Parts: sequence; structure tokens; C-alpha cells
Amino acid sequence: MRKHFAFVALALCLGAGFSAYRGGAAAQADPRQKAYATEPDWNDPQRLIPLNYQQARGKRLFYQYCVWCHADATPAGPSNRANLNPVPPLLNDGAALNGKSDEFLLEITTLGGSAMGKSAMMPPYGRTLTREEIQALIAFARAIAQPPYQPPAPR
Amino acid sequence: MSGNRLQGACKTHRTSALAQFNSWLTLRRLSLCLSVPVLCAALLLAARAGFGQANPAAVADPHPGAEQVWTPQLNAAERCTACHPGVAPPSAARPSIQQPGRVDPLVPHHTKDWGCTVCHRGQGAAAEKEQAHQPELAPAQPLLPTRYLQASCGICHRADLPDTPDLNRGRLLLGEFRCVGCHRLEGIERPAMLGPDLTDIGNKVSAEWIYKWLKEPRTIIDDSGNTAVNGYQMEPRMPQFRLNEEELRNLTAYLSSLRGKPVEPYAFDPKVVAALENSPDLVDQGEARFRQMFCTTCHSLAVTRGGETKLIGGDIGPEMTKVGSKTNPAWLAAWLRNPQAFLPKSKMPRYEWSDQDLYVVTRYISAKLTDPDLLQGVPKLDAATPEQIRLGRRVFLKKGCGSCHAVPGAKLQEDFGPNLVSLGAESISHLHFGDAKIPRSLTAYLQAKIGDPLSVNPTADMPQYRFNSADLDAITTALLSMTGAPGSGGMERLIVPRTPAEFHPAGAFAQVYERYQCDACHQFNGYGGTLATDLSYEGSRAQRQWLIDFLKNPQTLRPSLILRMPQFNMTGQEAAIVADFIGRNLRSPAVNPAGVDPAQFTPQMAALGKQLYEVKYQCQACHSIGAGGGYVGPELSNVGNWMTAAWIAAWLKDPQALLPGGIEPRRALTEDEIKALTAYLVSLRQSEPAGRAAAAAGVGQ
Ligand code: HEC
Repeated sequence: MRKHFAFVALALCLGAGFSAYRGGAAAQADPRQKAYATEPDWNDPQRLIPLNYQQARGKRLFYQYCVWCHADATPAGPSNRANLNPVPPLLNDGAALNGKSDEFLLEITTLGGSAMGKSAMMPPYGRTLTREEIQALIAFARAIAQPPYQPPAPR
Repeated sequence: MSGNRLQGACKTHRTSALAQFNSWLTLRRLSLCLSVPVLCAALLLAARAGFGQANPAAVADPHPGAEQVWTPQLNAAERCTACHPGVAPPSAARPSIQQPGRVDPLVPHHTKDWGCTVCHRGQGAAAEKEQAHQPELAPAQPLLPTRYLQASCGICHRADLPDTPDLNRGRLLLGEFRCVGCHRLEGIERPAMLGPDLTDIGNKVSAEWIYKWLKEPRTIIDDSGNTAVNGYQMEPRMPQFRLNEEELRNLTAYLSSLRGKPVEPYAFDPKVVAALENSPDLVDQGEARFRQMFCTTCHSLAVTRGGETKLIGGDIGPEMTKVGSKTNPAWLAAWLRNPQAFLPKSKMPRYEWSDQDLYVVTRYISAKLTDPDLLQGVPKLDAATPEQIRLGRRVFLKKGCGSCHAVPGAKLQEDFGPNLVSLGAESISHLHFGDAKIPRSLTAYLQAKIGDPLSVNPTADMPQYRFNSADLDAITTALLSMTGAPGSGGMERLIVPRTPAEFHPAGAFAQVYERYQCDACHQFNGYGGTLATDLSYEGSRAQRQWLIDFLKNPQTLRPSLILRMPQFNMTGQEAAIVADFIGRNLRSPAVNPAGVDPAQFTPQMAALGKQLYEVKYQCQACHSIGAGGGYVGPELSNVGNWMTAAWIAAWLKDPQALLPGGIEPRRALTEDEIKALTAYLVSLRQSEPAGRAAAAAGVGQ
């Protein structure tokens, strides 16, 4: 057990060293270089958020299925969001979504709002999207959240 | 970094360090924030601590204990997993560990069958990290940067995949921007028309206009040199050729000498002209008709609002903001009446014009879509001399213009540019980097060459395109996927070919279809454009009378769409031909027209359906009926006249069975709920079908 502890300490020191080093390089490094895709920060379009494979997949699904209600601009023009009552949270709304667990988000997307005691205007996607696709959507939401999402500490 | 040796890693694996390694693996599960560099570093340190003096010979001899993956099928041996030990399906506890370090569960190829380098490239057999990864040390096969990774899917998957949008877009752009005009490219469809035939160009536009266009083939530029439509940039299909003044003048002289057959001015009915000629709102009438006919579904116009210029409209045809300064009204009228008489392969539909419409629309274009300053800066051009014309023709051929444009007395130039079918596997020793200050790698080369051809070769003939960085990445990805013919030894079995879709309209319908170029926007059994509704199953969806009314006077069906079906002024007979063909031939096997009998619907069922629609399922989130409701799905106030009951029921049961990838969520409705909802929806009818009511009210007249 003591050995483990020593390793954690070692790894953390190294990790810190590494990230400091990478932080220096990141000033000019292109964030797209190591990412499958990027998404501009919705609150600050100049800032690009790099996405890993799963998040990039979530992005594609989001812009196909959810953008109509969970964003203010859509590829086809006006958003439907303002028509809805209750008005759905923007997908990057960290204040609304950061406090909700992955499990909850997975369930409400799978079963729809009414199954979770929320509005039926949130449709169920469990028969349209696979579980993996819904997980990818959640990963994307977490990646673009503002304020940023902090995963809960592992127990 | 010199200690960062794979040798160390291999050794680690084979010796007692395995114990340490295992405990270290346990640690990985404990610590969430441990990233890959940390893993490598820790591994390295572990290796250094006890086994820093590893014997390099151990690597040359692929020992059974060494971490090495051999894929006989691909004849590849690689040692990537020695440093990337986490390449295994992620555990439930650690689902989101970053690459490299895991096989993504969504990629249906496992390293044990495929290895790593077949997709990621890199020298898998190398013994040092740098040798495995870095372009300078791994010139034969450097690691592929993640953002081009979809290129690797395209090596075998020649048909588009849903999860490779960049690759798919790159392939599309290679066709759309006519790269196939000069280069041979694997699997890129050659557009029916690469560039317009120039046999008559001297009749159509002035020498000054030609000069201006050759110098800079776009008419609207904002400060940054671009215009954007809905966020994407609109580039003219014709690139910029960087001609010098002499070349410009000579080429202009040659082109303006091309006057095949003079345009015969269309003889308007004098009564129509007399009635309209002096009417004060002539131009306004023209603009109104221009908008009603939805020319902007295919053509865009620049609109400046709040100092910001945007193109509004479609990109199937050219941008038209200043077209009135380009062509004369006589040419315009002749073109609009019969575009295919000028360009047989043009996608422009042949509208049914009344003299009145044609007159007001051409007048509007010539009066309003103009820019008096368009030709500013064009020098005075004297009459062309025979010598200029001769030299101009030489420029035409030297620059490869004849790859896309037909001129009299010359065949289309073929294979003008280098063959690129195996560019994606090109060794950097075959590339000319010139003085470019860029990394010596294929990806850097491609980006530099396409971004600015002169950067790697100051005497390049390749013209200048202006792609935004996303499109440049997409094109690079598509080019990287072209690695040539598959090797022998079974590799060719891995290719998933692209099967070109075809649709052969027949009979009277074929003529109407050609005339209105239906396939420019609509899909038929996988063939055609993607701008508008897929019509493959339209015969199961729409009722015949509704189709006829719609074709004669198209109404908006989806409120969220900006682009609409143009009003062609189809005759009743044409509309009936189309409706009959659709009804007979474009049907879904999943919809049985006799399966649902609307006669069995009772008012009670419809009332229950209304309840379900409004309360339980809240369909109004996306659909509107009259005033209230959402913008996402079609407007439903006339759906009872529009759609067949059988289609509605089948759609409610499983939308994706009728429209794969469609966005309507599939719900778990019971049979009774489906019946009730269908009963409600078919009861939604406007007293008269929308088309006829609108026509009677004079809309669109
Ligand atoms: C038709 C509009 C619509 C579409 C499309 C839609 N949603 Fe929603 N969504 C809503 C509404 C409305 C709510 C709010 C429900 C409430 O608060 O009662 C909501 C809520 C949610 C919530 C819960 C938020 C919270 O604060 O609890 C999640 C998660 C969510 N949506 C995800 C998605 C995803 C993922 C998609 C795409 C697959 C999607 N939605 C598509 C309308 C929509």
C-alpha cells in the first residue's frame, strides 16, 4: 500500500511537470491537432474546445437531433427553443446540467421528460438512438458546459 | 528524453518489473486524472529505475514475451502497445480515458485483428518513440494527426460512412470544386458539367467583364476576402489563376472573340411590353415575382445588414448579386426561357414563363442586381488584335482552362494535373517542399499546397482556392484516404466499394423531370440532390390531388426552412404526369395502402388522438397546427388532405423505417394510440385544399 502511495505522489509530480510543459507549448499549439473535432465555446466563439472521439460523435448527433430545442441557432435558421414551455436548457448550460448525474441525463434522454416527472416536450430517444449514442451526447454536453463540468470524485 | 526508450518498456514487460507494472495498472484505475503522458513517464521512470541499461538487441529479436502485435492479414508487426498498454476496451469505472490508451468502443475494429498502424500510421516496428511517431524520423509512414484520422476509414470504405463527416465532406468538395477537372482522383464523381461551355461567351459578356472575372473570379468580397452564407463560405467554383497583365489581356481578347451563334432576342408580345414598359412599379413587380418563384433556393444574393455582408440563398447555381451588370436583358430573357439551349448540362430548370413574368423579372435583374462600380479598375481594352487572340488561346491551353471549359476547335484537356489516386501514400521524398518553412510531412505539404500552391512551388500552374480551415482539413482528409490500388494478398477483399446510385425516369415523366431538373434538389432511390425532401417513397406518403395542387403552386410545408420549392408555373397536365408517376413508382414496401381504412375512424377516436397529441405526447413541441406550435416538423393543419392514412400510421409506428436517420423520435405507441392519432391527423383538413384555395385567392399571380 505504501508503494502505491509513493507511486501516486510520483505520478502527480510528473503530471504537474508535464502539464506545465504542455501549457507552455499550448500557447501556440493548434487545439485541433490532437482532437477529432472542435466546438467553439458557445459563450466565446473565439475559443475552440477540443473534442475526443466520443464527444465528437455526440456533437454530430446533437446537431442532428437536439439542436432544434437545446440551442438558440440551428443549421436551418430559427430555433424552436423559444416556442417551448418550459424553455429547455441550452446544452452548454452548466448551471442547469452540471449538478445532474450522467445517469439522470441518460435516463431523461432515453425515456423522455414525462417518464422523469418533467415536461413531455422533452421527447424520448431510447428507440431512436442507441445507448452509446446517448452517452456520446452527454459526453459532448459535458465537454462544452459553461461553467465547466467537474466530474464527481470517484468513491 | 533520450531515456524514453521502448527497449525499456519491452524489458519492463519481460522481467520482474512486471510486478511493478501491474501495481501501476491498479493505480491507473484509482486515479482519474492520470493522463497518458503521465503513464508513459511513470513507465519510463519505472524502467529507468531498475532497467535503464536495457539491451537494445532484445528489440531486434521479437521475443514471445515482448509486447508486440502481429497481424498476418496485413503483414504488420508493431510494438505500439508496449507504451500504450491501455489499449483495451475501457472499463465501466474509466469510460472516458483519453486516446491513445484505449480502443474506442465505437470503432468496430479491434487492435487484436487490425493492429494500430493500419489506421494511425506510424512505424509500428520502430524501437524508439521518436522513430515510431515523428515525421522526420519516420518519413516512410509518420503518425497521422488525429484530425485527419477519418482518412484511414476511407482507405477501405469507399462509400461514405455516417461517422466520417470530414472525409465525406472532403470527397464532396473535391468534386464540387472541380479538382477532378485536372486530377485523377479515386471514387470522386465527375460533375456532369465541369465549367460552362465558352463557345458563345463573347456574345454574353463584355471584354471588360471577362478581364475582371479572370483576374478575380468573384464579385462580392468583404474585408477578409470572403462572404458567408449561414456560416459557411461561398466560393465561386472557378479558382483564381494568378494571370499577369499580359496573360489577362490576351486571354480576354481570345475569349471575347468567341461568338459562336448570336443570341436571338426573344420577341415579347408587344401588348405586354406596352402595358408594362412605363409602369412605375415595373421593377417592384419583377422583384415580387423573383421572390415568389424562389430563385433564391438555388442562387444567393448578398445582403448587407448592420455593416455585415451575408449571402442569403442556395448554392446550387451561381451567386447573383451583380448579375445585371454582367449580362444584357436580351441574353437574360433568352437564357431564362431555355437554359439548356445554351448549356445542355445546366441544372437550371426550364420554367414555364408568361411574357409578363419574363419581362418584369428580366427588368428587375437588369435594374436592381447591379453594381456600377463592378468594372472599376479594369483598364481600357482596345479591340483585340489577331496576335492577342492567338496568344490568348495559348494561355487558355497552357493554364489548363480546357480541362473544364469547351471552346471551338479543341477537345477537353484530359489529365492536365498530376494523377492523385495514390497521393495519400506518397513518400515525402517524392514531394517538393521548395523553400517552404513547414514540417517535412505529407499532411503539412498538402495543407500548404492546397492553401497556397506557390508556397511549395513558385512556378506552380495550380490555381488558388480559398478554403476555410475546416474545408481544407476535410479535403486533406479525403486526399489522404486515396492510397492507390489495394495490394495483392487479399487486401482487395477489404475494400467496401461505393455503389453509384442511379435513377431512370421513364415515359412522359422523364421529360418533365428533365425540364425541371428535379434531381438537382430531390433524391430518388438514393440518386440526386439532398437539398429537398427525399421522394423515393413520396407515392406512399402524398395523396394524388394534393401533389397536383402542390406542384402547381408550392406551399411551405416546413416552417423552419428558408429555401423553398420554386414555383415553376407547371401546367396542370405536367403536374398530373408527375403525380401519376410518383403514385405508381415511388412507393415504400413498408406502407400498405389498404392496411388502414379511414372509414373505420370515429369522432371518438379522433378526440382521443387530439388528447394524445396535445397532452400526453405534446407533439406541438415540434409541429404546428395553424397558429401555435413548433417549427421543427411539418405544419399539420392540412395533413388530412396531404398524407395518406396508411403513411401516417406507419410513420407513427417507426419513422426511421420510412426515413432512415430521420429526426422524429420513435415512440412506444400502442396500436390503439396509433389509430387514435391517425384518426385525429386525417381529420385536419383545410376546407379547400391549400393549393386550390391559394390559387383562387390570387396568391402568386
Ligand atoms: C422538441 C424539443 C426538444 C428536443 C428535440 C430535445 N429536447 Fe431535451 N428537453 C426539451 C425540454 C422542453 C426540456 C425541459 C423539460 C423540463 O424541464 O420539464 C428538455 C430537457 C432535457 C434534459 C434535462 C435537462 C434538465 O435540466 O433536467 C436533457 C438532458 C435533454 N433535454 C437532452 C436532450 C437531448 C440529448 C436531445 C437530443 C437527442 C434533446 N434533449 C432533444 C425539449 C427538447
